[in-house]
Order: sequence, then structure tokens, then C-alpha cells
Amino acid sequence: MLFNSLSFIVFLVIVLLLYYSKFLNWTNKKRMLLLASYVFYGLWNPPLVILLWISTLVDWTAGKKLAIEDNQRKRKMWLLLSMVVNLGFLAFFKYGNFLLENFTALVNTMGIEFEALPMDIILPMGISFYTFQTMSYTIDMYKGKIEPARTFLDFALYVTFFPQLVAGPIVRAKDLITQFYEEKRATANQFFWGVFLLTIGLFQKVVMADTLLSSTSDYVFGSDKLLHGVDAWIGTLAFSGQIFFDFAGYSTCAIGIALMLGIILPDNFRYPYASLGFSDLWSRWHISLSSWLKDYLYIPLGGNRHGITRMYVALMLTMLLGGLWHGAAWTFMVWGGLHGTYLILEKLQKQYLPFKITKWNGIFLAFITFSCVNITWVFFRAREFDTAWNMIKSMFYMQTNGEKILGSFEILKVSLVVGILFICHWLMRNTSMKAVSLKTNPIILGVFWAFMLFLIIISQGSGEQFIYFQF
Amino acid sequence: MNLKQSLIIGITLCILGTIGWEIYWRSKGYYPDLDNNEALFAVQRNRVKRALDSDIIIVGSSRIHFDIQLDVWKQETGIKPIQLAYPGATPLPVFHDLVNHTDFVGTIIVGVTPGLFFSSTSTEKRAYRSANDKVEYFHNRTYAQRLNHLLSIPLQESLAFISDADGVDAIKLQFLLEGIQFGNRIEGNDFPPFPNFADISLDRNLRMTEKTARDTSFARLIKNVWSFKSTPETPPREMSKDSVMELFVKDAKIFQERGGKLVLLRCPSTGYYRKKEENFYCRDEFWDELVKQSGAKGYHFEDYKQLKDLDCPEWSHLSGEDADFFTAEIAKIMMNDNTIPIKLKTN
Repeated sequence: MLFNSLSFIVFLVIVLLLYYSKFLNWTNKKRMLLLASYVFYGLWNPPLVILLWISTLVDWTAGKKLAIEDNQRKRKMWLLLSMVVNLGFLAFFKYGNFLLENFTALVNTMGIEFEALPMDIILPMGISFYTFQTMSYTIDMYKGKIEPARTFLDFALYVTFFPQLVAGPIVRAKDLITQFYEEKRATANQFFWGVFLLTIGLFQKVVMADTLLSSTSDYVFGSDKLLHGVDAWIGTLAFSGQIFFDFAGYSTCAIGIALMLGIILPDNFRYPYASLGFSDLWSRWHISLSSWLKDYLYIPLGGNRHGITRMYVALMLTMLLGGLWHGAAWTFMVWGGLHGTYLILEKLQKQYLPFKITKWNGIFLAFITFSCVNITWVFFRAREFDTAWNMIKSMFYMQTNGEKILGSFEILKVSLVVGILFICHWLMRNTSMKAVSLKTNPIILGVFWAFMLFLIIISQGSGEQFIYFQF
Repeated sequence: MNLKQSLIIGITLCILGTIGWEIYWRSKGYYPDLDNNEALFAVQRNRVKRALDSDIIIVGSSRIHFDIQLDVWKQETGIKPIQLAYPGATPLPVFHDLVNHTDFVGTIIVGVTPGLFFSSTSTEKRAYRSANDKVEYFHNRTYAQRLNHLLSIPLQESLAFISDADGVDAIKLQFLLEGIQFGNRIEGNDFPPFPNFADISLDRNLRMTEKTARDTSFARLIKNVWSFKSTPETPPREMSKDSVMELFVKDAKIFQERGGKLVLLRCPSTGYYRKKEENFYCRDEFWDELVKQSGAKGYHFEDYKQLKDLDCPEWSHLSGEDADFFTAEIAKIMMNDNTIPIKLKTN
């Protein structure tokens, strides 16, 4: 089920009515939330709920055993079981076709004639998100960092909690399970703020991403022509804006909906397009994934504890796998590799060419960072290397006679939207929406709220899927 | 921060704005109507699962969609057909789906609009892809999509501004913005305006608007679209007789061998289309050959004196009134031939 759909409005109203009804006690409310979460997921493809159940059962059992088991070898076996099941699902459902295609290509280059039958595997929505979430529980249990969930219900709800089930934020057990132990009710202000966040999130998705930017981005990246530099840049900027509004929109909706239930989810985006460099970017973009990768991949790979070279290798591997997490294609690996390279270059610059960031050079640095990020988005969006390479050549005017495919209005529209987006991120980078709202006159906030709601309604979002659902 | 106050202001202003938006579009002549989209198609396609041997399914392009009026058909025969025709599309993917993915053994009436029927068998071509997308949507639709469609119906039926229409009829913000053009950076789109000229109901009965039937200057807008950069002498851009014949005949045989009854129907055309069809899809090479090879019973409007001179206001489809007449007459003809099943009226 999508947040930007009529069925979700009905679903949410029913859930809220039951959640705040007096005839259910806290345990029954949690049971209702769990059932609602399965319905939320199952309305997309009912049989795939079984994967959620298996993942839940395996990690619940592994967590319970890890809590009482002292034998290191057995502890490792329980951890391994969780890893094999979760990563096995991911490998089969998400990377099955990719692995088969590459295996076929490899044996064919070796002169062996082999043609694999297509597997037609359905990618379960949000599998990358919930497997990472459940794995974090088992790994933290193995490391003795957290207490086991008190009840199976609490754990199942942690794995399946519908607001963040399919596209995050990827929440750690210590931050969410403990919230289920005692009855939660949103205060009036929390509830209204949750509604406001839901409105902002839907506005970002329906109006900014789907209505204003997606058509330009789709048109440019879907073109089979060699493009003029301006068109290539505008298409890339449109995607840059689209993916931010799409994904940040989902996270904002998720945080808002959870808050309406009195549950607090962590921020996932903090104005990333005004980042001063790439370390800063990854502390602002998809924060829950980057912190997951840091804690469960980069640090176990050695982090910065074994010298500079090992650190760079760990960094690059983390970013490459982070790229692959987004999708089963080599273009995503290149995207991750570029980010890894940026991070390494930034560390080298800080070591050999340090300079102080002031308010004067800050915006310039943010602009450079944003421009470099845009180059990586080309590989993220393009389905083929040829498309990506042609776009890059056009963007750097390495090819003459590129074709103009965008009209003046489209160029103006994308430039304005993405320009305002960048300026807003710059102005907001050291503050928060909550802080700004607190200072805003309630009438002005109300008018702004009405403006967003009105645009959402007249945009008539017909349930466009969120981009990150495919990851 | 007084969020409650802000929320009340927000909701109040939003409701006022939405009412104003609705009034504005109604003042421009828009009225609530349904979108003829894949979700509406899927609901009818789903009915095939419960269809009886006595049921009738209609597949085809826009001509049979406009020209067969479901209620009139029911009045004549006692059976309301399942309407699976789709404008601008070839019937091949829908027919292929019915033959290969259902066990339906009733009657299928295939509308043959030569330019679309003999266009292509490839999903790379628009006319084939368009129908194929609807079939794929039906097979892949989620329960959430079904629910969304169900919930959207009362809104579509009550509010004029809820519309998926694009082009000159666009109301959706994205399509309104796409219509804004200035400067001459790229070659302008000189495709003529293509207004909506039919209304659809929940059972997918499509009927030409009165305005199209009566207002010749409005009908001229549609004619401009049909004849855009083309004359009756201009060869069709997509034409594929052999592969179409092969695919259709293969499916027709499978369907008939399992007991299904297949009927081909050629609905009227006039003016530009009639001439074009005579020039490039001559009857003996296309229609007669199709009827012969498929083994289906064929009905061509030219063969019946009461049907052959019907006028199409925009060359391709009958007005609502003429469609009622055409439906009643063709149903009678088919009943007389024992081609279609009838349910005896009990009252």
C-alpha cells in the first residue's frame, strides 16, 4: 500500500480509530498494529508476507538463544543462521537474476555456450530495508549491546511496523522495541505535528517529485538520443530533485504517521544538498542506512583502526556494497564507487590541503559537493552504461551536435525548483523544520499547510510508486 | 506554536480552494466523468472468470466500443456483454489473453478496425502495446490497486476536476504544466487539439457525446486529429497483415476447438477513413481473408442495407443515437442467424 493512495487514507483512519479506542488494551493495540502492518504489506502481494514471518521467526529465535547462550561457537552458529536466512533471501530475490546474468556472461566469454532460463523472480517490496533491520537486532544481540525483546509481539511489531516497513528509516532495535513496552499515546501537539509531517511528506512526493520533476527526468533518461549539454544537466538535476523529494517524502510521511501513534522514529534526512563535503553528505542523506553501513560493515571491516590504506579499502568496499544494496546492477556499483572515491579524496584533502570552512567559502563548497553528487546520480538513474556515459559526455560538452529535447519552460521549471531546493537546504542546514515552525505565526503556517494540501489534491497523484520501494 | 489553529486554518482554506477549483472547471464546461483506464478495464476483465457459456465478450478498438451500446444489446438479447474493447488499440493481446489464460467457451465478438487490427504484433508498436499493457495490468494488479480504484469511483463520479485526461482536456496539475510552452528552443508540437468526445460508464459502455454528434465544428476538431499530416492516399505507418493473421488465426482455432464461438464485426466508417480503408485494406484481401482463415462468422456493415449508409460524425464512430440503432439491428441479425445466444425474456 502506498502512502499517496486513497486506500491508505482509509487504512490510516481505521488504524487511528482502533488505536485510540478505549476498548483495546495496550497488548491488543499492538496486536492490531501488527495485523494492520501485515495487511498494509499483504495488499501488495499476500504470499510475500511469508518472507516477513520467516525473517521474524528466525531472528526472534536467534535473539532468544543469543541471550542465554555462553558457548561462543554456538553463538556464532545462531548469528550465522540469521545472516544466511536474511542475506539468502536478499541474494535470491534481489540479486538472483543479476547473478545468473553475470554468470551466463562469464561462461560465455570463456567460450562455453550456456543460456539460462529466465527466473522471473518478484522483488519483494522493501526486502532490503526489513532484512537490514532484523539483522541489526541479531548482530546487536550477538555483540551483547542490547537486551532481547521482551515478547514475540514486540519483536514482530519491530520488524513489521507499517510506517517504516517498506522504505525505512531502518530503525535499530534499541530505538524502537523499547517504545513498545509501555502504552504510547501521542499528545495533541505530537498528533498535529505528525499530521503536518505527513502533509509535508505527501507534498514532497506528489507535488515536487511526481508532478514537477519526474516527467523531465524520465524523458531525458529515456531518450535514446545524444543530448545537448543543457538538456543532460537539466535531466540530471530533475532526477536529483526527484529522488530527494521522493525518498525524503517517504521518510517524512513515515515519521509523521508513527508520531500520530506516539512512536518516535529517527530523522533520515537533514538537508543533504547543502552538505559541505561527502562525510557531511552521508551524515545527512539516508542517515539510517549510512549509520547501519558504518556500524555493521565499515567498522567490522577494520574502519580506521588498521592504518590509512586499510581504512580506504574498508571505505571503498562499504560504498561499493552500499551501491549494490540499492539495486542489482553494475551502474549502482559505479555510483557507490564514485562516492567511495569522493570520500577518499576528501580525506586526502583534509590531510594534505586542510582549509577552514567559513560562511564565505561554505556555500561554494556546498555547491561543489552538490554538483559532484549530481554526477553520481547519472549512474544511479541510467539503466545502461551507454546511457550514463552519453549523459556524462553531454554534461561536460564532450560531444558537439547534441540534440535539444527540452522546451524553455521545462528548463525554467527544473532550474527554479532545484535552485530553490538548494537554497532552502543551505538556509536550513543548521536548523530544523520544527525550530522554524515554532518561530512561525500559526496563521502563516496554516496558510502554508492549506497551500500544500490544495496542491496535493489538484495534483491528483494517481499512486505513483516511491522510487526506493524497488531497493 | 499553535498547531491546532494552523490545522483548522489549513483544512478550511484547502476546502475553500478545492471548492473554488471545482467551480472553476465546471464553469469551463467540465462535468464529473469516469476515466477509461486500465483499472476500469481490469474490473470487466475480472468478470470473465465467472462468465457462463451463454455470455458474450466484446474485444476490439474504439469503433466497436462506441458502436455497441450494452444496454440496447441487453434489451434485444437479454444478455449484457462484457466490454473489453479499448480505443486506439488492436484487439489481439486481449483476445490472446482470453484464449490462453481463461477457459471461457462463450461467444467473443471481435471488432475489426482495419488500421488498428492489421497494425502490428509487437509490443514496440503503440496500438499493440496499449492493449497489452491493460492485459498485464489486469494480471499484475495488487489488492491495493483494486481498492484504490474502488474508492476513486465515487470521487470520479462526483467531482469534475478528478480526471486523468491530458492534452486540451487536462485538469491534473502535471498535464496543465506540460501544456505551458514558450520560446522556440525545440520544435513546437503541432499536433492538433484532441478533445474528449465520449463518456464512459462503470460497465465500460462508451457513448459519443451529444456535442460531437450535433456540433460539426467540434467534430471537425476530431477529424483534424484523424487526418493529421495524412490523406486517404497516405500509406499507413504501421501495417502487418501476415503476422497479424497468423497470430489471430492460431488463437481463433484454439478458441473454437474448445467450443468457443467467434464472431467478427466490421463497424461503419465514413469519409477519410472509409477511403483510406478502401485504398489500403481492400475487403477481399483483408476482411474476407480473415473471416475465411479464422473460420469465424463475419458481419460487415456494408452487407446490410439498413447499416451501410449510417453516418459517422467524425468519420470513425457512430453517434449515440445511431449506435443504439446499429446495436439493435446487428443483434437482431446475429440472433436470426443463431450466431449469438439469447436469454428468453420472462416478463
